[in-house]
Amino acid sequence: MIMPHTHSLLLVFFGQCFRICEMWRKAADSRVPLVRQMKDMPEPNMDYSNLRRQIISMKKSLFDQGYLDEQFNQLEELQDDSSPNFVEEVVALFFKDSSRLLTNIEQALEKHPQDFYRLDSLAHQFKGSGSSIGALRMKNECSMFKAHCSNRNLEGCRRSLQKMKREHATLKQKLETYFQLLRQVGPRERAVNSWK
Amino acid sequence: MAGAAAKERRVIRVLLVEDEEIHRVRARALLRDAAGGVELGEAGNGAEAVRRVREGGAYDLILTDRQMPVMDGHEATRQIRALGVTTPIVGLSSDSLAADADAFIKAGADDFTPKPLSKEKLNRILAKFNLA
Repeated sequence: MIMPHTHSLLLVFFGQCFRICEMWRKAADSRVPLVRQMKDMPEPNMDYSNLRRQIISMKKSLFDQGYLDEQFNQLEELQDDSSPNFVEEVVALFFKDSSRLLTNIEQALEKHPQDFYRLDSLAHQFKGSGSSIGALRMKNECSMFKAHCSNRNLEGCRRSLQKMKREHATLKQKLETYFQLLRQVGPRERAVNSWK
Repeated sequence: MAGAAAKERRVIRVLLVEDEEIHRVRARALLRDAAGGVELGEAGNGAEAVRRVREGGAYDLILTDRQMPVMDGHEATRQIRALGVTTPIVGLSSDSLAADADAFIKAGADDFTPKPLSKEKLNRILAKFNLA
């Protein structure tokens, strides 16, 4: 009778299939425990470390290239769990103020006769605002602008304004990138100020 | 000596005279943890500061910016002193020119510090006026 023999063969066949499936499953499962161990960590772990490195590197570059000074670190020290977005909020305030001031300075430069006292006053505000976030290049260019105002040097003021606008745009773009990276690591890491 | 009692830190009342929001935000954060706590009053210009003091505001420290609309820090300092108020007044300015500091002292301020205010500068001021 063929039936019992075929039945045995089928049993053997399905048994082998089952064993092969089990082997595949165990091979896959050998990776599961690692994933399960990482479930409390941001995945993938390697990308998180890379992100941290990028942030640290970017911040160092901002300091090395003179865009920022120690006042930015002081600002970061004021950030904590109760105000986890403090730095970004203050920087946003700076860019709001400074955009307005740049427009005002530009308009004041086009008036005749120029009011160098008012121009100096606007640059003074800009300088103060920039120093609050450690915007070193901006602060220095504002000082140059004020010096031109003292000398009633209209062309000097105009050249300085163009530099201020360029520095402003560059700093804004760099800090936006910096904060985008920080947002990716989450509020807890930002708040503990681990980026020194 | 070991037996000396720990100095109790008290809540201090500070008047911050500053027209620009960015400086107020930074100062608030700095003052938040200062001394034994800070009751912070704010004035957006010198005239408002003088009004607050005239209306009986009692402060342990007044921090005032120089350049403000309506009334600047120098004039506010003069008027506060004219009221007979002896509260320590510290002038602030984005310029660190000697002329700025001199003008504040001549107006009756007790000290001057260039902006931005920092933890170190604030601690120095609080220690100087026994407010730490």
